[in-house]
Amino acid sequence: MDKVILTMQGIDKSFPGVHALEHVNLEIRKGEVHALVGENGAGKSTLMKVLTGIYTKDEGTIIYEGREVEFSNTREAQDAGIMIVHQELNMLNHLTVAKNIFIGREFMSGKLIDDKRMNLEAEKLFDLLNIKIDPTEKMGDLTVGKQQMCEIAKAISHDAKIIIFDEPTAALTESEVEELFKIIRDLREKQLGIVYISHRMDEIKEITDRVTIMRDGAYVGTLNTEESTKDDIISRMVGHVIYEEPKSVSNVAPNAPIVLKVNNLNAGKMVRNVSFELHKGEILGFSGLMGAGRTETARALFGADPKESGDVFVNGEKVEIRNPKDAVKHGIGYLSEDRKQFGIITEKSVSVNSTMASLENYMKGIFINKKKEKKIAQQYVESLNTKTPSVDQLVVNLSGGNQQKVVIAKWLVRDCDILIFDEPTRGIDVGAKNEIYQLMNKLVESGKSIIMISSEIAEILRMSDRIITMCEGRKTGEISISEATQEKIMQAATLRN
Amino acid sequence: MEKIKNNVFVKKAGFNKLVLACVLLLMYIIFAILSPSFLSYNRILSALNYAYFLGFLALGVTFVIATGGIDFSIGPVMFCAALISGNLLTQSGIPLAACLIISLLIGTVFGVLNGYLVAYWNLPSFITSMASMMIAKGVGSVFTKTQSVSWPQKGQANGGFRVFVKVTTDNGTQIPTGLLFLLLFAMVCAIILNKTKAGRYILCLGSNREAVRLSGVDVKKWEMLAYVISGTMAGVAAIAYVGAYTTVQPGLGDIFNNEAIAGCVMGGTSMTGGIASVGGTIIGVMVIGLLQEGILAMGFQKDWQYVLTGLIVVIAVYVDVRSRKRKI
Repeated sequence: MDKVILTMQGIDKSFPGVHALEHVNLEIRKGEVHALVGENGAGKSTLMKVLTGIYTKDEGTIIYEGREVEFSNTREAQDAGIMIVHQELNMLNHLTVAKNIFIGREFMSGKLIDDKRMNLEAEKLFDLLNIKIDPTEKMGDLTVGKQQMCEIAKAISHDAKIIIFDEPTAALTESEVEELFKIIRDLREKQLGIVYISHRMDEIKEITDRVTIMRDGAYVGTLNTEESTKDDIISRMVGHVIYEEPKSVSNVAPNAPIVLKVNNLNAGKMVRNVSFELHKGEILGFSGLMGAGRTETARALFGADPKESGDVFVNGEKVEIRNPKDAVKHGIGYLSEDRKQFGIITEKSVSVNSTMASLENYMKGIFINKKKEKKIAQQYVESLNTKTPSVDQLVVNLSGGNQQKVVIAKWLVRDCDILIFDEPTRGIDVGAKNEIYQLMNKLVESGKSIIMISSEIAEILRMSDRIITMCEGRKTGEISISEATQEKIMQAATLRN
Repeated sequence: MEKIKNNVFVKKAGFNKLVLACVLLLMYIIFAILSPSFLSYNRILSALNYAYFLGFLALGVTFVIATGGIDFSIGPVMFCAALISGNLLTQSGIPLAACLIISLLIGTVFGVLNGYLVAYWNLPSFITSMASMMIAKGVGSVFTKTQSVSWPQKGQANGGFRVFVKVTTDNGTQIPTGLLFLLLFAMVCAIILNKTKAGRYILCLGSNREAVRLSGVDVKKWEMLAYVISGTMAGVAAIAYVGAYTTVQPGLGDIFNNEAIAGCVMGGTSMTGGIASVGGTIIGVMVIGLLQEGILAMGFQKDWQYVLTGLIVVIAVYVDVRSRKRKI
């Protein structure tokens, strides 16, 4: 019965401020496809990174092929036979398929690379997997599905014993998914251990033998796929304990005017025909999985990225938003999910950051009125309760929550009426989180309207008056808060078209 | 050490700048000991001559470096401006005032070209300015048919522009008016950089371009402005150059880019953008001016100047990088 190839026991890992993994267990047998599921941030990727040596675990043991191991980098894990097929493929597009597969360990004849032999070996691999790919083709000319198969072939050529698939079907078409499943079944036949990370319940039901569920960095349990329903799995993923009180009724007046209306917004693959309305005084939650197109929608609406088509109405009037400048002019402010990259200028002071969007109001002739600037900055430091020794402090020296408050101050100084909060509490500790929530509630009470993008369902349920779900660039649902449950949201957020 | 750094006066002036000023003083003392002739007034005037045109170049390029970009065209643009306007003055009989304005305009045109390509076409400033450097060299040579141009001497007709560099009184004393102009320009630059919207946006977009753009600021316009200032200052530098050295040869000028940029970096302007110091730039070019004069005074080959400038730049950048690492 010793079919177990890998046992991870009590794996614990902390990062500054985050307990990413709490005593997580995972057991993989030979010849099984084992699903690893959980919401965004549940710790699936972290666990795999610990396994393959990208992160070092704080506690716990990893037993692989009967002995305890600890890989210090991916190379060691590879050599031992543990391979990851990544969501984003790591291929060199200008090289041939064969060269990609054997990169770093090319066959040589003397000092020269033996292309002929490499192509031959690649062909053998493809035969083994029943794949039809010409090894001399350029990688960049293949479809994503074919590229993924090359990656699998590469894993096999490394003599892999465990292959980890990280969201392998995210970019595949229906028929490509079928082909992939054929290969995975084949690998199972060959007694490999397969870890299958996915959000898609249908696929998990179809292809996997067992499911390990994670939530908030903790191990929830392992089920036999055949014996459990989709709902079993989902309810374990989202859990029954909600730490924050969810809103039960909308706080928006029934006759509240529409302040923002978006019609058939299109921008690239990630924003397809998105339409929605935002009422005055409303917090509109945008829920969805990573890569659902929520941030892309916000950025296209705000003019940060070019859009292909779509109409935007502010207070009933059609407006043309070509760049952030236009958006700001119409009273829209955007708080990015990545503050350091898109929100603040870390090397500048609190006051400089506070007036960044409205400097023209703080001028005296051609000169900046620094006195007035500092006064308004000070005013918002006080009203937002930002913890900083002075408004001259560089923002880099503030904590994440206080940096977020500086970004909020920037838009309040500008007096924006429509605020887009993209993951407003990411990387912020619990206390500051609550403060940001209170602040958002205060803002809508004062007549502002908020679009809140969040990957935390608990946050969505606590804050939103209405919820829009997105999946793969499309709007897949609109749920009023009085009817919303974690399960409903999760179901809508995983709807594929 | 920490005590000195936290002193109110030191904090206000900037520790790095004070160190650089001490280096300047120390260099002067060393040169004076090694070569007593160095104490003469003429030597100082000569060192200043070099610092003037370099100072204008460096002031301009400070704005570009503040955005996180680079402008390698300023030296050849300066020569191009001096060649064309000088040729018009001496060969075509265009009035002096018009020629001086043409010199500035030539600089502005190159600034607009660089700025437009970098800000609106998103070309890398390194490549763009290298291309316009070649264009400037070529245009200057073509316009003058590869002849060097000598601007009029003091006292000759149209020699009046020299008051921008030096004025000789009746009893023969030379007054370095160039220094006055350089400091005046530096003051204006410092005010633009620290007190106006343009300077604020230029510095901030050098720190985090996306954050400024997403705040609804027209970053392209302000980024381009930095290059326009840089180009125009190269036109100003052309007048300072011919006022001090009279003759301009076609096909040269690139070495001055490097020296001007070296001056900025020494003065504490960060090559990654976002941090710039006009005062530091001025002290930086003074160091370079003094260095080249000192080497001449001691009878060394001129090219040692480049070796020493290079070494000082490496040290300055090292200090800059180290101090920033510690902060983060």
